[in-house]
Amino acid sequence: MTQQVSEAPFPTDAPPPKPDPATAPQPPRGGRTATWRAFLRRPSTVVFGSLLVVFVLVSGLGPFFVDDPMATSYPKLLPPGGEHLLGTDMLGRDYLARVVHGGRISLAVGFSVALLCMTLGVVIGGIAGFFGGWVDTVMVKIAEFFQVLPGLVLALVAAALLGSNVGIIIAILAITMWPAVGRIVRAEAMRISKLGYVESQRAAGFHGMRILWSDVIPNAMPPVLVATTMTVGRAILIESGLSYIGIGDPSNPSWGSLLNAAQSYMREGWWLALVPGGCIFLVVLAVNLLGDGLNDALNPTIGRVK
Amino acid sequence: MKARLWHYGSLLLSSFILFITVITVLFFLLELAPGDPVQALVGDVPLTEEFRQQLIAAYGLDRPAWERYLVYLGNVLTGNLGYSFATNAEPVLDIILSRVGTTLALAVPAFVLSTAGGIVLGSIAARTRRRWLDAGISGFTVGLFSIPNFWLGMLLIIVFSITLGWFPTGGKSPYGQPGISLEHMVLPIITMATSELAYKARIMRSSMIESLGQDFIDTARSKGLSSRRLVFRHALPNALLPMITVSGYSLGFILAGSVLIERVFGWPGMGLLLVDAIERKNNMVVLGITIVLTFTIIVVNIVTDVVYGIVDPRLRARFTPNKPSPEVVG
Repeated sequence: MTQQVSEAPFPTDAPPPKPDPATAPQPPRGGRTATWRAFLRRPSTVVFGSLLVVFVLVSGLGPFFVDDPMATSYPKLLPPGGEHLLGTDMLGRDYLARVVHGGRISLAVGFSVALLCMTLGVVIGGIAGFFGGWVDTVMVKIAEFFQVLPGLVLALVAAALLGSNVGIIIAILAITMWPAVGRIVRAEAMRISKLGYVESQRAAGFHGMRILWSDVIPNAMPPVLVATTMTVGRAILIESGLSYIGIGDPSNPSWGSLLNAAQSYMREGWWLALVPGGCIFLVVLAVNLLGDGLNDALNPTIGRVK
Repeated sequence: MKARLWHYGSLLLSSFILFITVITVLFFLLELAPGDPVQALVGDVPLTEEFRQQLIAAYGLDRPAWERYLVYLGNVLTGNLGYSFATNAEPVLDIILSRVGTTLALAVPAFVLSTAGGIVLGSIAARTRRRWLDAGISGFTVGLFSIPNFWLGMLLIIVFSITLGWFPTGGKSPYGQPGISLEHMVLPIITMATSELAYKARIMRSSMIESLGQDFIDTARSKGLSSRRLVFRHALPNALLPMITVSGYSLGFILAGSVLIERVFGWPGMGLLLVDAIERKNNMVVLGITIVLTFTIIVVNIVTDVVYGIVDPRLRARFTPNKPSPEVVG
C-alpha cells in the first residue's frame, strides 16, 4: 500500500495540491452533533453521567474539605452516622476522609490508564492497520499474547517485582491493556484504508502519515471511544484487585487498599468493606453504561434482531 | 489430513513461542527488580555470607545476563522452577502442585456453572420478545460485570456467614479436618462464577442474535419448522461456536481471578500461595505460579482450538483437500 504513495504522479519537489476549501466536499454538518445529542438525551446517560461527575468532583475537590485521612485522633470503629458520616476505621481515622482520598487514586489510575491505552492503541494500531508490514505482524502477536494471558496475572507479577507506586502501576496497566484498544483501531484502519476517499487522497499525492492522521484516525474514533470508556472501568477494577491483595502504593491508599485493610474487620466494621467497594461498583457501572450508551448512539444498527 | 497436521503443528509452535516469551518477560522483570539480586531471588530471609556465595555460584549471578537467561530458560523447560528458601528450600514445583487440586476444586465448578448459566441467560435475552426480560438480563449482567468480584465475596461473607450464619466464613474445611467440605465451597464458587457468567451471557446474547439473523434461519422458518426446533436445531449450535473460544479464555480469567477469591475466603490454593509469596517477596514462588498458570492457560487454548476444529463443520471442510468449500469463515 505504501508504494502507491511514493509512485504518486507528482514530482517530490512540488508540494501536493491543496484542496480548495470552497469547493472541497464537506461532511454533512448535522450528523455528528445529532449523534452526540442522541447520546446525551438518553436517560441512562443523564443519570450515570451525573453520577460519574459527582464522583470526580468529590474526589477532586473533596480532599480540601474532609479531615486528615491519617489522623488517628477519634474512637476506633465508630459506625456510620453522627459526627463521622462514614464512621471511623480500626485505627480511629475518619473513614469519609479515607474514602475520598482513596477515590482520588482509583479515579486517577482509571482515567490515566485509559488515556494512555487510547494513545498507544491509536498510534500503534493505526500504523499497523494502515501500513501493514512488520509493525502489523508485531502488533498482532502482542495482541494475541495479551488476549491469551489475563492481564491481571502479568500486572500482578510485574507490580510485585518492580515495586508498586502509583506511577509504576499506571504504566503496567497501560502496557497490559492497550492491545484491546489497538486491535479495534487496527481493524478500523484496515477497513478505512480501502475506502474511496483514502484512495483518492493517495491519488492526490498525500503522504501516508498525513492521510492516517487527517482521515483514517478521525473516522476510526467511534468504536475507539467506546473501548476507551470501557477501559476506565476495567483499569479501576484491576487496580482495586491489585491493591486488595496488597500490591498498592502504601502512601496513597486507593479504594482497593481500603478493602484490603477491611478484610480482617468484616465482623466488627461492615461499613469498612461496604463503602469503598460500593464506590468502585458505582463508578465502574456508570462508566460501563455510558460506554454502552455511546455504543448504541454511534452504531445504532448493532444488537437488533431483525 | 496434511492440512490438519500443518495447522496443529503451527499451533503447537506458536504456543511454544508464547510460552518462551512469557518466561523471557518474567526473567527481565526479575532482572529489573530493584535491590540486591540475591535477595530478589531468595526473598525476605536472612542470609549467611557463606550461603550467599553458594547461591551466587549456583545461579551464576556473577556471570553475564544472557548466560543466566539461558540457565533460567533451561531450568524452567525441564520443570525446575527453583527452590523456596523461605520454607526449607522445598522445590517450588512441588509446593505448587500440592495446591493445584485445591484451586481446581473451586475453578472447575465455577467454570461449568458460569458456562451453563451464561448460555441459558444469553439465549433467553436474545430470544425473548418481552423487552423487560431482555433489559432485565442485560442490566443484571452489566451490574455483575461492574462489581469488583472479590468485594462481592466480602459482601456474601458479611450477609450469609456473619449475619445469617448459614455458611462458614472461610477456609476449605472445618478447623483441623483434612479435605474439602462442601459447605465451604458454596460462597467462593458463587463469587467466582458470577462475573464470568455475566461475560458469557453478554457474548451468548449477541452471538444468538447474530445467529437468529442469518439467512438459514429464514430458510428453516419458511420450511415451516417449529420455533423450538428452529432454536435448538439451527440457531443454538451456531451461536454456541464462539462460546467455545470464549470458554477457553474464561478458564484463564477464572484461574487468574482465583488469586483474589482465595484471598477473600482464605481458601488455601495456588492463589493464596501467590498472595503469601508476594507478601514475603518469595520471588521464586511468584514466578513459579505465574509459569504454571501460563502453561495451563496455553494448554487450555490448544484444547479449545482442537475442539473448535472438530465441532465446526466449516473448519472440517477447510481440512478436506481438493474439495472447494464455499465461503469458509474462519
